[in-house]
Amino acid sequence: MRWFETPSIDFNGKRKIAYILSAVLFIASLGAILTKGLQYGIDFRGGKEFVLDFENPVSVVELRSDLSEPLGSTPELKLFGSDSEILIRTDNEQEIAVVQEIISSTVRELHPDNPFNVVKTDVISPRFAEDLKWGALQAVIYAIVIIFIYILIRFRNWTFSAGAVAALVHDVVIVLGIFTILGDLVPFSLQIDQALIAAFLTIVGYSLNDTVVVFDRIRENSNVHKGMDFMPMVNKSLNDTLSRTVITSITTLFVVLVLFIFGGEVLKGFSFALLIGIVLGTYSSLFVASSLVVELEQRTNKS
Amino acid sequence: MQGNGFKIGTIVAFLALTIYYLYPTVQYQLEQNYIEDLSPSETAQYTEENAEKLESLRSNILSLGLDLQGGMHVTLEVGVPQLIRELAGENADQLLNDVIDVADQRALENNSDFIDEMVAEFESRDPDARLSRYYRNDAMDITRRSTNEEIATFLKTQRQSALDRAVEIIRTRVDRYGVTEPSIVKQGQNRIVVELPGVEDKERVRNLLKGTARLEFRLAADAEEFRSFVNQTYEYYDSFEQPSDTADSVVNNQFNPLDEVLVPAQNPYLFGYATPEDTSRVMDLLRTEEVQRMMPRNTTVMWSANPLPGQAGEELYQLIGVRTQIELTGDVIEAASVQFDPATNVPEVSMSMNSEGARKWGRITGANIGKPVAIVLDGFVFSYPNVQTKISNGRSSITGLDGIGEAEDLVNILLSGALPAPLEIMEERTVGATLGAESIQAGLNSILVGLGIVAIFMIVYYRTGGGIADLALLLNIIFILGILAAFKATLTLPGIAGIVLTIGMAVDANVLIFDRIREEQRTGKTIKASIEAGYANAMSAIVDANVTTFFVAIILFSFGVGPIKGFAVTLMAGIVASLFSAIVITRVVVDYLTQAKKSAVSFG
Repeated sequence: MRWFETPSIDFNGKRKIAYILSAVLFIASLGAILTKGLQYGIDFRGGKEFVLDFENPVSVVELRSDLSEPLGSTPELKLFGSDSEILIRTDNEQEIAVVQEIISSTVRELHPDNPFNVVKTDVISPRFAEDLKWGALQAVIYAIVIIFIYILIRFRNWTFSAGAVAALVHDVVIVLGIFTILGDLVPFSLQIDQALIAAFLTIVGYSLNDTVVVFDRIRENSNVHKGMDFMPMVNKSLNDTLSRTVITSITTLFVVLVLFIFGGEVLKGFSFALLIGIVLGTYSSLFVASSLVVELEQRTNKS
Repeated sequence: MQGNGFKIGTIVAFLALTIYYLYPTVQYQLEQNYIEDLSPSETAQYTEENAEKLESLRSNILSLGLDLQGGMHVTLEVGVPQLIRELAGENADQLLNDVIDVADQRALENNSDFIDEMVAEFESRDPDARLSRYYRNDAMDITRRSTNEEIATFLKTQRQSALDRAVEIIRTRVDRYGVTEPSIVKQGQNRIVVELPGVEDKERVRNLLKGTARLEFRLAADAEEFRSFVNQTYEYYDSFEQPSDTADSVVNNQFNPLDEVLVPAQNPYLFGYATPEDTSRVMDLLRTEEVQRMMPRNTTVMWSANPLPGQAGEELYQLIGVRTQIELTGDVIEAASVQFDPATNVPEVSMSMNSEGARKWGRITGANIGKPVAIVLDGFVFSYPNVQTKISNGRSSITGLDGIGEAEDLVNILLSGALPAPLEIMEERTVGATLGAESIQAGLNSILVGLGIVAIFMIVYYRTGGGIADLALLLNIIFILGILAAFKATLTLPGIAGIVLTIGMAVDANVLIFDRIREEQRTGKTIKASIEAGYANAMSAIVDANVTTFFVAIILFSFGVGPIKGFAVTLMAGIVASLFSAIVITRVVVDYLTQAKKSAVSFG
């Protein structure tokens, strides 16, 4: 079977359309993040989380109002996988044992015929959450800086570094935007926590993987076809590697989809981020990274 | 085949190593399966006879993270500000306290070092002042003339040793408590990460970890003075009107807020009783400036450690009046053990003191016959028995405990020594064993389904080449597990996700190579030449792509915590293993098929 054996798609010619699409997505994402704010999970803002596994399905709305008064504030409730598992998050500042007792006794009293187990608890002090957030931010920044430097060393051209990093920022911001917008619309948690930072860095790694393969081909082609103009050469390189880009994206998408479906509730947000990230990463290495390199090359050559 | 001897050698060596490292895991699992089928008595006998073998196997298996096997993950922080304050001892003054508070706040905001912030803040208040006036210590060579820089170094050493000591004490306590394979490691300058697989009683573990074991013997408050303080406080709140911003204030304006939260007591040494939910509100009411002014000199109130049953079966804690002065501390305790009260058979902790403590204890009890002495541990009163006679042999006991478990833990804490500074729980994550088991199943399913789909796709798309890549993929997963076992890494749920992801990305190297081979074939080269050129030309792209991903994994490893580290480790192992299997193993197989077997290898 052969797909895209000798394609001749005019990627750079279509880059104006890609710019518009990317700009719209990017601005919409930034807008959503700025107006709605990032939806931090417990890792990054602290608090207490309990997962209750009931014998029979329960109503989230009912339970939320049941618990509001005893806890002193309205807790956040979400289904955790099935409709008999509930995740409760509260900012109540008392000792964990006290809070757990408040929740357990209230629920037991109001739903005596529906026994439950507390299967998971997480407590993060706000101070610790602050440290985790700082660590995550550092990780993302260091990743971008190191990638910039590595590409600079390998390809000896800052426009390649800039193109790759711009594509990465593009990918991460849009995934963040989609998470912010979809946060309340999907039945699983899309809050930003440590696992999600891991997903982001994986997306960064993946998107970069694609980009670097294309850059590598550009470098090779520029040695083979010395007389060729830069833009057609970039286009040829994109077409040369297209088959590989698509196949790798497909196999990776397969496994991420499997993870999303079979991986359990704990990994839902994580695999959802990867799912969007891989599609975006493939798109950005085809349309954003190389186009920006072309753009930057043309500017610097003129001046 | 020429030139592949070295490659085959490496593959064999790599495989042998993997088998060597994974053998204990497989063997242990087989033993477990065998034990599961035995009857309880046979199990006991078998495990006893093979204890050594099982233990040695278990210490070498690929261990599962807490998110998979269930358990408790706790991050504790040593209270450095308190430690620094206490190091100053009696020299501490208002200025030092202020400086410490400001530095604590600033260290938090700027993510900076507390001690550096403290020195900076101190110097900013008076550039010529010296911290040495608080920390003179002849043994450590800290004199009045020591510079602030020297003091900072001294304090940092103290912090380090406090952390080391805390780790040792925690380890002793956890070992005595009896958790299989606990992990206790330092993190940064003032944190300790404790991982306890399969812990059931979380509250007990929390107390065990946090217990500073600050044992104090205090005299009870003066009965008459305290009684009149209680009455004055009630009178004060009688005249108190409810804040007008609540809707029903007009109806209830003869309302005493103390009645809402406190049950009055007859005992002259008690302020009253309260349920656990109300204790903090009671303290809010008593902490107001006006009430504090009425409090008798040298007197304070403390809660009882364990509740009494109330009339409706609710739990009631006692609020006890005690002296602020500490007569004797836990330093004098030489030995402690669990005993049972001969009359009631209730467990208690019996302690004996050293000679100096015994002398003081004799004096205190002798002078206070007929009055209660409060035995206070970590700020809570365990009991306040009336002194019957003078005790001169240095014996004392802690009663009023909540069962044998608490008595054992107390002995444990008392004997393991007092923590150098209070520990605070910064992070606590627990996962139940059932959720862990579900996660394992989910992870396993993902690996199998992911592997199946990718394998079929590769064969359909690349034919023989795809089949060879699938073989490499399978070996790749085994290699990853081998690498994890060899480096004693733990397998976490994100780690499994990393393996699944690797399945998708591992074939990338083969996709690059096979596509390149197809390209070379199109230029009219023979299959042999195409393979040669395909592997050679794809190499630089493969290396670049994987090196960058490896960087990302390293960064993730350096900044991630807990399970995320597990993800980073599998990602790294995955990159190494997949490079090896995609480049070396497939090459050997492809060469073997094309040359030795003379069969036509198709790349689709």
